[in-house]
Amino acid sequence: MFATRSEYDRGVNTFSPEGRLFQVEYAIEAIKLGSTAIAIKTKEGVVLAVEKRATSPLMDSSSLEKIAEIDAHIGCAVSGLTADAWTMVEHGRAECQNHYFTYNEPMPVLSCTSSLCDLAMSFAGEGEKRMSRPFGVALLVGGKDDDGYHLVHTDPSGTAMQYKAKAIGSGSEGAQTALQEEYREDLTLKEAETLALKTLKAVMEEKVNVTNVDVARIAPNYVKYSDPEIQEIIDRL
Amino acid sequence: MFDAREDALAGARQHANWSPYDNNGGTVLAVAGESYVICAGDTRMSSGYNILTRKFEKIDKMSGKTLMASAGFAADAVTLKKTLKARCKQYEFQNKREIGCVAFAQMLSNTLYYRRFFPYYAFNIVAGLDAEGKGAVFTYDAVGSYERTNYSCQGSGQALIMPVLDNQLKTVSPLVLPAASSATPLSEQEAIDLIKDCFATAAERDIYTGDSVELWIMNAEGVRKEEMALRAD
Repeated sequence: MFATRSEYDRGVNTFSPEGRLFQVEYAIEAIKLGSTAIAIKTKEGVVLAVEKRATSPLMDSSSLEKIAEIDAHIGCAVSGLTADAWTMVEHGRAECQNHYFTYNEPMPVLSCTSSLCDLAMSFAGEGEKRMSRPFGVALLVGGKDDDGYHLVHTDPSGTAMQYKAKAIGSGSEGAQTALQEEYREDLTLKEAETLALKTLKAVMEEKVNVTNVDVARIAPNYVKYSDPEIQEIIDRL
Repeated sequence: MFDAREDALAGARQHANWSPYDNNGGTVLAVAGESYVICAGDTRMSSGYNILTRKFEKIDKMSGKTLMASAGFAADAVTLKKTLKARCKQYEFQNKREIGCVAFAQMLSNTLYYRRFFPYYAFNIVAGLDAEGKGAVFTYDAVGSYERTNYSCQGSGQALIMPVLDNQLKTVSPLVLPAASSATPLSEQEAIDLIKDCFATAAERDIYTGDSVELWIMNAEGVRKEEMALRAD
């Protein structure tokens, strides 16, 4: 009777008899189609690195933005449906400004990520603001607050997990294994930059260059790397 | 003969003599030191020539490192503190930490300003220890304009006490080099004695200040309270 998924994979608010929400699981699958994004946390800061996959040689790679600033002390790398990511980033930016306005202090990183996860959950429930589907995007949020550096992974189910190093997207399986082998607690920021790009290089089909990757750090403020700075890291590989 | 009903029928306003506000008087004061802060307030609540109670506490602990004292309209002050305590709890749940005095100070300012056109008729002082453990005093007007200072006094005895504090505690301009600490140079005990003298003095001339003064002393060890009797007439 319940042999196939097809009866339970349509509604986002209906559990299957085995207790699964297929639409959410499909959304998580959507991320595995996205370009690879890597984040590494060190004692000196968090490094974010993403692959920018141009579908055509005529495409301007600068229009592929997969790393964003949320506040001066928080940045994120994304994989999946980029348009969904911008909705979340905009929400995070508004929350951070609101926190600063209300409390005259930067928003704690975990408060910001939990508000992002609340938004990711807005496919559930009822009312005007209810979304028709889950977000098809995962975020790697890096940031610095009073408790030090944080690296948080959020997915379409609205789960937030803290990591030391994390890879998402199409090359995530290989990249995560590589990170697990190479990660050390005492990595410097510079070593983390190298490790991030080295790992990215290993899982990318194309050869790494300044146009097909983006790099940013939060140490302690968000800084996106310029082309020469990225080239310098590539030269170190 | 004056007849309210006739007046109302004639289209005149019936509520012209009614005010939503009262002034219940009282004085509050705070002094910040290098590693302590003292928040003090008298305990009299008055309305006109009547004393409503001799044991009304104007100071509340809002979070681990934050005290708040209010003079003015007691009903508004009580409601304001209830609202703020609820927001402090929400902050704790959202951010998994207790609200600091600097964040609390900004939150109070916003809360007051959101009532810009029907203000809480309360004059507040926030006293606490900042992230470095230094004493901090924030002083407000009724619509949320605020400033971090090292000492402040608000309420009915303000005009009597503030000049004394200026005379005793005012430190050199931060523009003068070498830069000196802006915290009051007094030791904790010296500050306590000064505050008690200030209240005893204000109670001599201000009919809205009296009965007793409570002092909340906050330092790295925690908060302790002292009380001293004032004129009861």
